Amino acid sequence: MQALASVVNFFLGLGAAVFVPIIIILAGLFVRMKVKDAISSGITLGVAFSGMTMLINYMTGVITPAAESMLKFTGINLPITDGGWTTISTISWSWPYAFLMFPLVIGINILMLVLNKTDTFNADLWNVWGKIFTAVAAYYITGSVVIAFVIAAIQVVFELKIADFHQYRITDLSGIPGVTCTHKMTFLAAPMYIVDCALRKIPVLNKSFNAKDLRDKLGIFAENHVLGFLLGILFGVLARYDIAKILTMGVQCSTALTLFPVISKYFSQALEPISNALSEYMQAKFSGREMYIGLDWPFMGGASEIWLVIILTIPVTLLMSFFLPGNQILPFAGIVNIAIAVPAYLVCKGNVVRMWIECVVFTPIFLWVGTAFAPFMTELANSTKAVELASGQMISNSSIDAPIFTYAFSHAAKVIQGDFIPLIILLAWLVCFVLYSRALIKEKKEALAKGSA
Amino acid sequence: MSVRVIVACGSGVATSQTVASKVNRMLKDKGIDAVVEAVDLKSVDRYMEGSAAYITIVKNSTEYPIPVINGIAFLTGMGKDQEFAKLQKAIEDYQKKKIL
Repeated sequence: MQALASVVNFFLGLGAAVFVPIIIILAGLFVRMKVKDAISSGITLGVAFSGMTMLINYMTGVITPAAESMLKFTGINLPITDGGWTTISTISWSWPYAFLMFPLVIGINILMLVLNKTDTFNADLWNVWGKIFTAVAAYYITGSVVIAFVIAAIQVVFELKIADFHQYRITDLSGIPGVTCTHKMTFLAAPMYIVDCALRKIPVLNKSFNAKDLRDKLGIFAENHVLGFLLGILFGVLARYDIAKILTMGVQCSTALTLFPVISKYFSQALEPISNALSEYMQAKFSGREMYIGLDWPFMGGASEIWLVIILTIPVTLLMSFFLPGNQILPFAGIVNIAIAVPAYLVCKGNVVRMWIECVVFTPIFLWVGTAFAPFMTELANSTKAVELASGQMISNSSIDAPIFTYAFSHAAKVIQGDFIPLIILLAWLVCFVLYSRALIKEKKEALAKGSA
Repeated sequence: MSVRVIVACGSGVATSQTVASKVNRMLKDKGIDAVVEAVDLKSVDRYMEGSAAYITIVKNSTEYPIPVINGIAFLTGMGKDQEFAKLQKAIEDYQKKKIL
């Protein structure tokens, strides 16, 4: 037993860039990949981890001094660096138990299909990391791996259920039949629905307008290199750098934002053969059954409304981060907040004005939750060496998917310590979820009745 | 030089790269000299020039200067072979055009 423990510790001690590739090679062989392909996947994953470490160090090296200088001159104290979802997914994959999430996600999906509790088959095995993320937070709160997996399992069930409920509306909005969205970012649609009910009472807000023209004009601001440059300039000005340093800061920030997706691609590249093998296995198993295929959100990305609202939310997020009490995160790599715009799109069915109001209302929650998760993310990054941070440096994400759900469910166990707030938030979310799902079911029934009449 | 094909998603990272890896494997199995590159949906217009086809995973109303392939088929597995045949043809046409 002790020998086993020391073997395990040896592997973990190698750091994520070595032990995660070893796990993926083993997992690849298990799903019958060719040896050379499995090894290729493993090494690609190692490259992804090392590349991300390099880049995150570069980013924190640029941002941290500026944040310190901003504190000195303006009194704005935002010590947490925002690494966006790419950083957080890197750190999540480095959790030693991360790969056990694959069998859990697939097992629950098969079970629910067999029992007719869902009609969705989740083909999006890339976002397994979203479950890992919630589990990691629960693990740090409770210290129990079992509880962490139980909470992740609950998340998997809710993802399938909301995908079932959303299916009709998503097909209606996207024009693509047979698919739905299993991404957990859609959980935020439940509380947004309550706000939308109130907003719809105001007649002015029922106007629709053409989002495409505006998006075409403003679109350049959301392109990574341009956005990074502008943020860098802004941070440089607030830090009272001189002109040369401000321009340098602009280019450096632009470099960081441009390279994040480039390196993150290696993660998808390395994990694709495994998720593809699993997904084909599932498709073969249920070939006779009629199902909706659950996908990641981008198939809805053709909607100009989503992009327009994302662009219009960027200045809101920045302003709020400076003045919102309790916020400690400086928005940077996570500032293109897809996780707020997509659920708003689903709830408001593309009404840009109401979508944007939803984004303004819910932005503080993203900043608070981003602040609240910084300690776990920083500790996990340091302990698995997924990302090597300088001492005292904190990292998080300003656009954590499904912030209310993720916070409430991962922190619910705090009730034992007498902290009832996460549990109350959890119950409130559940109520919203029930009300929202009823509205979606009603919408589908009415549309079907109309269609057949 | 290999022929370039592009596929785009929201960040150019996850969905698009999944489709890219999958189609790249199919191309390799058939021995076709083409490479699928995942790009960011926001910058997709910059990549049209010099690409043989655009694999899209959204429903488009926009007209593009190059053949458009339905990428959802590669994600769901339904209609995958027809879309791949379309892609194959687009690559062949592109190669012919380049020789002329």
